[in-house]
Amino acid sequence: MIKIPTRVLLVDDEKDFVEMLSLRLQDAGEKVTPAYSGKECLDTLKQIPIDVVILDIKMPGMDGIETLREIKKRFPLVEVIMLTGHGSTETAVEGMKLGAFDYLMKPAEFDDLTAKLQAARKRKDEQEERIRKAEATLLVRKAGGIA
Amino acid sequence: MEPIRILLVDDEEDFRQTVAKRLAKRGMHVRQASNGENCLSMLEKEPVDIVVLDVKMPGMDGIEALRHIKERHPRTQVIMLTGHACAQDGVEGIKRGAFDYLSKPIELEHLLTKINQAYDKIIREEEKEREAAFRASMEQQMIATERLASLGTLAAGVAHEINNPLAIIKESAGWILSILHKDELKDMPRRSDLELGLSKIQKGVERIRRITLQLLESVKQTDSLVSEVNPEELARETVDLVCKDASAKDVRIMIDSRPDVKRIWTDPYKLRQVLINLLTNAVYAAGPGGTVAVMIRPTNEGALITVQDTGQGIPRENLARIFEPFFSTKPPGEGTGLGLFVTRGIIEKLGGAINVKSEFGKGSAFEIRLPLHPEMEDMPDASDNPGAWLVNVEG
Ligand SMILES: Nc1ncnc2c1ncn2[C@@H]1O[C@H](COP(=O)(O)OP(=O)(O)O)[C@@H](O)[C@H]1O
Ligand SMILES: [Mg+2]
Ligand SMILES: [Mg+2]
Repeated sequence: MIKIPTRVLLVDDEKDFVEMLSLRLQDAGEKVTPAYSGKECLDTLKQIPIDVVILDIKMPGMDGIETLREIKKRFPLVEVIMLTGHGSTETAVEGMKLGAFDYLMKPAEFDDLTAKLQAARKRKDEQEERIRKAEATLLVRKAGGIA
Repeated sequence: MEPIRILLVDDEEDFRQTVAKRLAKRGMHVRQASNGENCLSMLEKEPVDIVVLDVKMPGMDGIEALRHIKERHPRTQVIMLTGHACAQDGVEGIKRGAFDYLSKPIELEHLLTKINQAYDKIIREEEKEREAAFRASMEQQMIATERLASLGTLAAGVAHEINNPLAIIKESAGWILSILHKDELKDMPRRSDLELGLSKIQKGVERIRRITLQLLESVKQTDSLVSEVNPEELARETVDLVCKDASAKDVRIMIDSRPDVKRIWTDPYKLRQVLINLLTNAVYAAGPGGTVAVMIRPTNEGALITVQDTGQGIPRENLARIFEPFFSTKPPGEGTGLGLFVTRGIIEKLGGAINVKSEFGKGSAFEIRLPLHPEMEDMPDASDNPGAWLVNVEG
């Protein structure tokens, strides 16, 4: 079975971390785009299609929570996994309330990360599928109405 | 009230007897001495509250005796008795620390008034001393509290700053390992050496991660999720969690509860973490062939849970330190020294107290007392109640 790569946007101000994790995710068959700030993340989302954003909570400038808010406002179908270097699960919980799919504590197990990535991807696919179906029903009904 | 203890010192036998009798009639406990030397040796054997001391005596005179009394029994008050027209002696006595003086011939009522005044002074001074001691211990507790609080903030910062580079190391090692496992490198020379090195890096990373996680855990200010908890059930569940590890180490864990144990309102998740910490320590201390007992008892305020082991105990000099962060006597990699630090923080947040009793060579018992309700509104606040932070450490 050929794996359809998940289009991942990896956002963290730690360049070395982004570089290494990108390599690993790519090696595991995903398609990764790096971003080093909240702003860069939003700019990228405008330009290319993304399935899942992996988002560091603590970044200088626009932090992860703010970025998450913007993502959910402007790209509601994109799933977000939060990364926290801080033990404070509160921020993570706040993130979940704002619509994040899940969170991971840094340093995370690679297997945990890929598992959450797949789950997030699956939720996005299902959501898109529901929307497609709903639109189709709408079309059929409209067509019926005309006939 | 205890009777006032008096030592009456005078070389005039008749005078002494009369006064002593009359003071005794007023409910005082009176002893007598006929000279200065005698007075001092009697005080040595049994202290009194007040000495009524004649100045003019053969041998050691009153002033000399006063000097010795003030030196050896600073809490004892002295009333001097001076000869008629010898007020100068009395003034001299006051200068040297006497409470006051009376000139002979004395009025019994005067003497009684003076004795009562001197006794009031003793009580006031005792109160002052108690207060000073209390304040001193308070101050010590404040210092300890502040030290721990700033340690907490520092710890959180350090843990966070370490986690980021640690994540880089972990990803890099994982990346190299995944390359080594690729088919193209199947026949690479000395592959296993590289793998060995990488596995050590990963083990090191794991160790650091455990420490930073525990550190962050220790300073985390999460809201408690309070619910009604049966302490016995919770203890059984927790013992189930650690019993596999215990039997691997050949340690027996027993639970001893009573039917009248009350349910308490507390945070079961946090309480479980506390019990896991205490049980892990106890199992480690008990060692092969040892036993750990968990005892649950009802108290007036709530519940008492004791985790007792048959281990080596805790040396006296360590008792005061085991709750400090990073204090551990275990070999590197086996202990972080954060278990009890976290435990104490939790128990205090839950409105309880933790106590340790340990006999070196025989074992230790950690007692946690929990209230029926955690009393959320007056959770221990360092400024209000510094005592709540400190743990009673008993020998
Ligand atoms: N039940 C016990 N018996 C003997 N020593 C104990 C016991 N519990 C704790 N200690 C002592 O207290 C130290 C600190 O305990 P803890 O904070 O849990 O850290 P750690 O277990 O990681 O060393 C231990 O290293 C040990 O010396
Ligand atoms: Mg960051
Ligand atoms: Mg421990």
